Amino acid sequence: MAVTWRAVLLAALGIPVVLLVPMSGTVIVWAVLVVLACGVDAWLAASPREVAVRREVPASVRLGEPVRSTVTLTHVGGRRRLRAHVRDAWPPSAGATPGGDPGTGGRGAQTHPDRHAVDLAPGDARRVRTLLVPTRRGDLRGDRVTIRAWGPLGLAARQASVDVPTRLRVLPAFRSRRHLASRLARLRELDGRAAVQIRGAGTEFDSLREYVMGDDVRSIDWRASARRADVVVRTWRPERDRRVMIVLDTGRTSAVRVQDEPRLDAGIEAALLLSALAQHAGDRVELLAYDRRVRARVAGTSGPRLMPALADQLAGVTPALVETDWPGVVAQVRARMSQRALVVLLTTLEPVVVEHGLLDVVAGLADRHQVVVASVADPEVAELARGRADATAVFDAAAAERAGLERAAVAVRLRQRGAEVVEGLPDDLAPRLADTYLALKAAGRL
Amino acid sequence: MSTTDVHAGSHPAGVVGDGTTTRSRAAGRWRRLRVPLALVAALLVIGLLAALPEPRTSTTPLAPDNPGPTGARAVAQILGRHGVDVQYTRRFADVVAADAPGVTVAVLGESALGDAQVDALRGLGADLVLVGTPWTAEQVAGIRGGFGATSDAPRPARCDDPDARAAGTVVSTGALVAAPGQVGCFPSAGASVAYVVAQVDGRRVAALGSADLLTNDHLQTAGNAALALRVLGRGERLVWYLPSWDDPWDGTASDETLASTMPPWTGPLLWMLALVVVVAGVWRGRRFGRLVVEPLPVVVRAGETTRGRGRLYRRGRAHGHAAAALRAATASRCAARLGLPRSAAAPDVIDAVARATGRDAAGVEELLYGPPPTTDSALAQLAGRLDTLESEVHRS
Repeated sequence: MAVTWRAVLLAALGIPVVLLVPMSGTVIVWAVLVVLACGVDAWLAASPREVAVRREVPASVRLGEPVRSTVTLTHVGGRRRLRAHVRDAWPPSAGATPGGDPGTGGRGAQTHPDRHAVDLAPGDARRVRTLLVPTRRGDLRGDRVTIRAWGPLGLAARQASVDVPTRLRVLPAFRSRRHLASRLARLRELDGRAAVQIRGAGTEFDSLREYVMGDDVRSIDWRASARRADVVVRTWRPERDRRVMIVLDTGRTSAVRVQDEPRLDAGIEAALLLSALAQHAGDRVELLAYDRRVRARVAGTSGPRLMPALADQLAGVTPALVETDWPGVVAQVRARMSQRALVVLLTTLEPVVVEHGLLDVVAGLADRHQVVVASVADPEVAELARGRADATAVFDAAAAERAGLERAAVAVRLRQRGAEVVEGLPDDLAPRLADTYLALKAAGRL
Repeated sequence: MSTTDVHAGSHPAGVVGDGTTTRSRAAGRWRRLRVPLALVAALLVIGLLAALPEPRTSTTPLAPDNPGPTGARAVAQILGRHGVDVQYTRRFADVVAADAPGVTVAVLGESALGDAQVDALRGLGADLVLVGTPWTAEQVAGIRGGFGATSDAPRPARCDDPDARAAGTVVSTGALVAAPGQVGCFPSAGASVAYVVAQVDGRRVAALGSADLLTNDHLQTAGNAALALRVLGRGERLVWYLPSWDDPWDGTASDETLASTMPPWTGPLLWMLALVVVVAGVWRGRRFGRLVVEPLPVVVRAGETTRGRGRLYRRGRAHGHAAAALRAATASRCAARLGLPRSAAAPDVIDAVARATGRDAAGVEELLYGPPPTTDSALAQLAGRLDTLESEVHRS
C-alpha cells in the first residue's frame, strides 16, 4: 500500500470544505472519505504479485564499463490493466545511471535511474533496462524488484517486492592494458621477429641465417660458415616456456588506500599486465592471492583462457585485515614450482612489516627462483616530503623523508638477499613491473 | 485479489509474487505490531489506573482540592456531602456566569482582585461571603478592617447572629470593624471582630476577617467548622472563587479568552491540516522497496602513519631527529645524482656536492652534517637551505 500526491491533494481539498462547514465532524467525515477513496483505489489496482519478473545481466563486466540490467515483466494476472512503477534495485556501488531506458523513466528518472513506468494489459510483457556503471570490483547481487501498481484513480497503489536472485561479476578494470601494446612491441624486438637484430637479445639459440650487412661480426658462426660457401650468423631468441608465479599479498597492508583505491587494486592491475605480457611471450603464468590462506588461485591455464580466468578469480579478492603469513607463501610457491621460476611478490615495502616477515623468507626463495618484489608507493608521502609551509609541515616532511629512507634501506636489504625490487605509484607500478620482466627476459635471467 | 500460492511462484516468464498471501501478510503485520501494540495498551491501562481513583489535588492555598494544611478540601467535601454544589473557579467570568439569587459566592483573598472585579462583585445578585478581603468588604458593604488579634484564645460569639451563636467560640486572627446597622461577632480584646454580617441591596454579605478558620489545619479548632459550614452552606449552590493573577477579566469583554477570539473554524481547520500532514507523511514515508545495503571496505589513508610520526616529532620537539631525516634524505639524493655509491662516506659526499655546486666544502659540511637546530624556525630555515642546495646539484 502506498499513496500519491493526489491523495494529499484530496486531503487538502477538505480545507475549503471545513471552512464552509466548521465542525469537527467535517474533519472526521473527510478523513474517512480519504481513507475509503485510497482503499478502494488500491483495491481496484492490479495485483503486483501477479507479475512474472525476470532479470538478466551479462555474467561479468569490467569495472567502470556500462552494463544494462534488463527486467522483463509479464502480466500473468486477471483482467485488470497493470499501471505500475518498477524499481530494479541494486547496491549503491552498482552505480545506476540515467539513460538506461529512455522514455520509461518519466519524471524522477534523473534522481532515480532504477525506476521505470510500465503499462501492461493482461498477458502482455515488457522490458525495462537500468544502466549500471559499477564502481567497485567484486560480485554485485541484485536486490529485490519492487512493483508498485497504481489504482485507476492514481490515489493509491499496491506494492510488492520480489526476490529475483541475480549476480553480476565486476572484473578488475585492467586499465594498465594500454601499456600492453608498447611492451608487446618490445617483446617482439627481443623475439627476433622484428627487423632489428641485436646480439644478446635472448640467450636461447634460435636459428642460423645468412650474414647481411650490419650484423654483428661476433655473432658469425664460423663452424657453420665453413661448411657452406656463405657466411652464416647465429640468431638468438628469449627463453620460452618459463614459469611465472605471481603472488598477490592480500594482507592488511593491501587494504591501505592510495589515491582512493586500495593498494590491492594497483597490485591486481600490475598482475594482469604482467600476465598478459608473459602469456604472449610464451611463459606459463600462475597466480596466487594469499594472506593467511589462499584467496584466489589460477594455475594450469594458458592461451586465450588465461586472462578471463585471472579476471574472474581476481574479481572477488578483497583485502583481509590480517598479517600476511610469509612462510605460508613460501610453502605455496615451493609446492607449485619445482623448477626455477620468476616469482613476483606484489606487496608493500612497509619497513616494519617487511623486517618481520618478508625479509626472513626472501633469501630462501631467491636461492631457487628469480624473485621480484613489487610495491605500490604512495604519492601522498611524496607530497608530504615537499611540505615547507610551517613548522608542522616541516615535521611532516621530515617524517616522510625518514619513511622514504627506511623504505630505501629495506629495498637494499631485499636486493642483498637476491630479490629485484620494483616500486611505483599506483599507475606506474604495472608498466614498471612489465619493464622489469622484459629486462630479466632479455638478460636471460628467467 | 490475493494470490493463492504460498511460495514465490515460478513461471516460464520469471518469478511471480513475493511468496506471500493476504493472510500471511496480515499475520506478518500482526507479528510485527503486536509487541508495540501490547506496550501501548499496557501504558494506557497503567495511565488510566493511575489517573482514575485519585481525584486531582493541588497545593494552592485555600483551594477546595488541596488536602494540605493550608488547603480547604475538608470544608468543601463536608459541604458537598451535605448537598451543596461546590463550584471551584479561578476565573471571574465563571462567577459572573453563575450569578443568581440564592447562589452563594465565596471570595477568598483579594490580592489578585482588580477594581473592575470589585465593582462587579458589588453589582452581583448572589449572596457574598468575603473571606480575608477587608478592602473588598469595605467597597462592597462598608465593613472596614481593624487591627488584628494575634492571640490563639477562643473568641465567644457575643452577638445575635444564629450562625455565630451556633458556633459558640472560634479561634481566628480576623479583624474587622462593623459599620452601624451591621452585626459583628467574635470580638477580640480590641474593637475588632472576626465576623460581620450585613444586608446590602437586599442580599446577605458575610465577611470573615481571616481565612485561617477555613483551612484543613484549623477547621477542627473550637467552633470554626460550625461557623464555616453554616456561612458557606446557606444556599444550594456555592461558587468558590479564588482570584487569580492569570485572569484577564476586566469587565469590558465579559467572556474573552484566547479560544473565543478565534474564528469558529480554527479548531476544525487545524485538525484538517493535521490530516493533510499525515497523508503527506504516508505519501513520502512509504519506501519504494527496501534500502539496499552493501558492506563497505575500511578506509585507511596511506599517509596516516607518516603524519602520525610527524606529529610525534612535533610533540616531542624532536628538531634534531627531524633535521637528521631531512639532511640524510638530501644527502642521499645528491649522492645518487652525482653518481656516488650508497655506501659513500660523508667526506666524499661533501667533496662531490661542493664541487658540483661551487660552494665551499665547510659550508656544505655545516649544512649537511652540522649541529642540529633547536627551534621550529631554525628547522624550517634548514629545510629551505637544503632545498636550495639540492636544486643547485640538480642544475649542475
